[in-house]
Amino acid sequence: MNREELYAIAENWFQDQGWKAFPFQTQTWTAFLQGKNGLLNAPTGSGKTYALWFPIVLDYMKKNPDYKTKHKPGLKAIWITPLRALSVEIKQAADRVVHDLDTQMTVGIRSGDTSQSERTKQSKKMPDLLVTTPESLQLLLASKEFAKTFANCSAIVVDEWHELLGTKRGVQMELALSRLKTVAPKMRIWGISATIGNLELAQQVLLGPNSEAYQNSVLIKAHINKKIKVLSILPDKMDSYPWRGHMGLHLIDEVAKIVRKSKTTLIFTNVRSACEMWFQAILEKYPEFAGDMAMHHGSISRETRLWVENAIRNEDLKVVVCTSSLDLGVDFAPVETIIQVGGPKGVARFLQRAGRSGHQPGKESLIYFLATHAIELIEASALKKAVAKTIVEDRIPYLNSWDVLVQYLNTLAVSDGFFPNEIFEEVKQTFCYQNITKENWNWILNFITNGSQSLQAYDEFKKVEIEENGRFKINSRLIAMHHRMQIGTIVGDASLNVKFLSGGYIGNIEEWFASKLQPGDVFTFAGKRLELYRVKNMQVLVRKADPKKESRTVSWMGGRMALSVQMSELLREELYAANSENLTPELKALQPIFERQRKESIVPDADEFLIETFKTREGYHAVFYLFEGRFVHEALASILSYRISLLSPITFSLAYNDYGFELLSDQEIDMQSVFDNNLFSTEYVHHDLQKSLNLTEMARRKFRDIAVIAGLVFTGMPGRPVKTKHLQSGSQLLFEVFRDYEPDNLLLQQAYSETFEHQLEEGRLIQALERVNQQTIVWKQCKKPTPFSFPIITDRLREKLSSETLAERIKKMTASYMK
Amino acid sequence: MKITINNQNFVLHPCGAAFWEEKKILLVSDLHLGKVSHFRKHGMAIPEKAVHENFNRLNNILKLFDVETIIFLGDLFHSKINNEWNLFSDWTKTITQQVVLVEGNHDIISKKNYTDLNIQMYSEFIIDDFLLTHHPIERENFFNFCGHIHPGIKLKGPGKQFLTLSCFFRKPNQMIFPAFGEFTGNFYLIPEENDKVYALAKGEIIEITN
Repeated sequence: MNREELYAIAENWFQDQGWKAFPFQTQTWTAFLQGKNGLLNAPTGSGKTYALWFPIVLDYMKKNPDYKTKHKPGLKAIWITPLRALSVEIKQAADRVVHDLDTQMTVGIRSGDTSQSERTKQSKKMPDLLVTTPESLQLLLASKEFAKTFANCSAIVVDEWHELLGTKRGVQMELALSRLKTVAPKMRIWGISATIGNLELAQQVLLGPNSEAYQNSVLIKAHINKKIKVLSILPDKMDSYPWRGHMGLHLIDEVAKIVRKSKTTLIFTNVRSACEMWFQAILEKYPEFAGDMAMHHGSISRETRLWVENAIRNEDLKVVVCTSSLDLGVDFAPVETIIQVGGPKGVARFLQRAGRSGHQPGKESLIYFLATHAIELIEASALKKAVAKTIVEDRIPYLNSWDVLVQYLNTLAVSDGFFPNEIFEEVKQTFCYQNITKENWNWILNFITNGSQSLQAYDEFKKVEIEENGRFKINSRLIAMHHRMQIGTIVGDASLNVKFLSGGYIGNIEEWFASKLQPGDVFTFAGKRLELYRVKNMQVLVRKADPKKESRTVSWMGGRMALSVQMSELLREELYAANSENLTPELKALQPIFERQRKESIVPDADEFLIETFKTREGYHAVFYLFEGRFVHEALASILSYRISLLSPITFSLAYNDYGFELLSDQEIDMQSVFDNNLFSTEYVHHDLQKSLNLTEMARRKFRDIAVIAGLVFTGMPGRPVKTKHLQSGSQLLFEVFRDYEPDNLLLQQAYSETFEHQLEEGRLIQALERVNQQTIVWKQCKKPTPFSFPIITDRLREKLSSETLAERIKKMTASYMK
Repeated sequence: MKITINNQNFVLHPCGAAFWEEKKILLVSDLHLGKVSHFRKHGMAIPEKAVHENFNRLNNILKLFDVETIIFLGDLFHSKINNEWNLFSDWTKTITQQVVLVEGNHDIISKKNYTDLNIQMYSEFIIDDFLLTHHPIERENFFNFCGHIHPGIKLKGPGKQFLTLSCFFRKPNQMIFPAFGEFTGNFYLIPEENDKVYALAKGEIIEITN
């Protein structure tokens, strides 16, 4: 069959559905059939699945002209999706194509939810088209003779590549692809990505810079412009707007009005605990919604989530409170309205959420922004501009993630073993490890074979063994089993399953939250009031609670996001506009707050850098407003407090948000000497950051994930956690042992470099300081906290920095013990 | 820091051990030897240098005091036998002091291992009116020395400051020892009115007074 005939088949199919193929779809077909690799930039719900399933099937038909009568077995293509929940829809699309075209091809799913018997069946006979997740692909690489399985595979499609890029799962994918290129030389590699700022880079990372695959690749853009309307929810009276807080529940009545007007509304919150609280609050105030309302977040059991997703599709629900768990994939046609609670911190995320509504072609997406505290309204105003100008962020890919490489090499060692020279060449081709040196490589090999850089006679370290022919292999069945178990847990805190005493899985909560509960305590989770019976074997056993008892809402650590560069720039522009005549509705609504602020202090202009100092019961506060985003503030707070602490012994507690940062101390800060000594200098920034204690704290947090990924922390076996208790240790403890005994360990150093590159964003930091140095410093000595300072000084997540001795500090601290 | 209990003098050392002056006894708790090796044997690359640190610190402290007997208050060896045992056995041959072990819950390896090294083993040990155990115990007319808990405290100060430290935790009739071993965690206690807390603060012992 020639290409024209193949196209005719595809076009006919589209006609039968009453559709017409989009140009981006036919472009992708052509490129694929020409044997090219590529990246397809297309949003959800645009028909991207058909853009790639079709050429995969057509290619099979072309190679097997008697496809209708004779079925050629073996894996033909792999479709990678970052979310298990999406795999069903992708399979359905593929099923339709292979069935309607009479191909006899089979489609299968392999993910964490696939049963063991199904897996075994698959290993004996792979489906033609396999839908799977990055983790399950790694597990396939960890099985014996995996090379045979992939040998005749003609394509791999990485869906939602933008979600993986900039995460360690993305690095996992890069490594898997580097191996598959060798094992399946005819495989075409395709990615699908939503719009991000650096699409070209995304294509390079997927295919490997300077690789043959990259030379032979294309970037196809769908050019589908969706109209998005952004509205802020403003209360009638501004006085009632809280100065801080992150729930926004005071606007619940306005939200109810919006919900009533629309067919289905999704309410997006930024964190799971806010999701729980909103759900409860609506239920209490508007019990009439009870039957038409649901909640969806990542810690709720899968069955419940699937049920919610289906119910949305079937128009059974009026309102769903959710988190980023509903950001991706799955088309929900009935959704008419989106409400975003609290700043989404990035334009791309906001656009993605907005795109969840108005799915029918030509329809407008409608998103309401609900600012949880007054200042956040400035963000709303900035977001509107961003949407109008379609500004989107970059995703920054990881470099030199040694932890993922360690995990990957162990994976290969678990399967058929590997020869280092062959794998080194492949690894070097990836974006992440393009700069890897022979020294780095040898270090990693030593690490997985000796557990250190020198072999000690008494040592019994056992993991990867070197066989006589030079093959690196894991032979211990126990270690192999531990490793397979670890592959899926690339991120995440230790979590405990929540179950009813009578049976029935509800979801999971983090260990640290469970540890705060006593038997008999009541907490709200997954919309239910539950009483803790006991915690045993990594299970939280609960029963229904007395509704009158006071309860707490489950909270989760982490997940705090910072404003992107693009957002913070827009935010500053909006703020400076507050002093002009040209006011948006949001800024107009904020006037009373600005007036309060001006009474005590000022609303800064573009050329002003505002510092406020005041005293409260807690101590002496100094608040600096840079409007550069949380991460930059974290770093600056760290540097500045370190530099001040060099002048005289002092202890600080640091707090920061997206607008500025605070140094709090029991002593008054000598602000004049801060100016006199030019402490905002851009000189020695790197050095000072390294010196500041805070860096260690940040690295310690990064190290937690690194230790898990590299297999230093064993997270336990599902259902059998007790037996492994002897192998569990806190990563806190690990960090200290490494710091004290192996400071040059690459994994430890990675914790620091990740802190610099991904958390502190050194480049942005220096730019921010340069900007500050061109501004006029306005130092306001206030009598009490200002509206601007309020959200910062009330933040309870704090870091500390001290140049006093431990004895001095203890002397001051004896005032009170704490739990 | 020197403290007095029942007219006997004890020197608390910032590494977590205590020296009983009158009896020339060194008291140490919760070494958890073998823990690092146990992890390494299972393919988790905890720095092996940490293995030696316990012995270095023990040697240092033996140089400071005129010790005749070393009493371990339990959890000397963390898990099943591994090569770290050989290091320990070599170490016992380099010292002249009598070694006593009060058994703890982690001490599951065969007693023969200890008796071969001439280590005396007891489930509890009484010296005058002092009762030495691994688990904390209250018994009339006795002052109890024990370990097991790995006590620590959290402190709060002005300006939203926090600190966490290991400590000797002294109740009216009991003193709980901090864990001596590297690579062991803490359990945080809250002192009551008559409790005393001696915190291990980087090279010195500081009594926390309320």
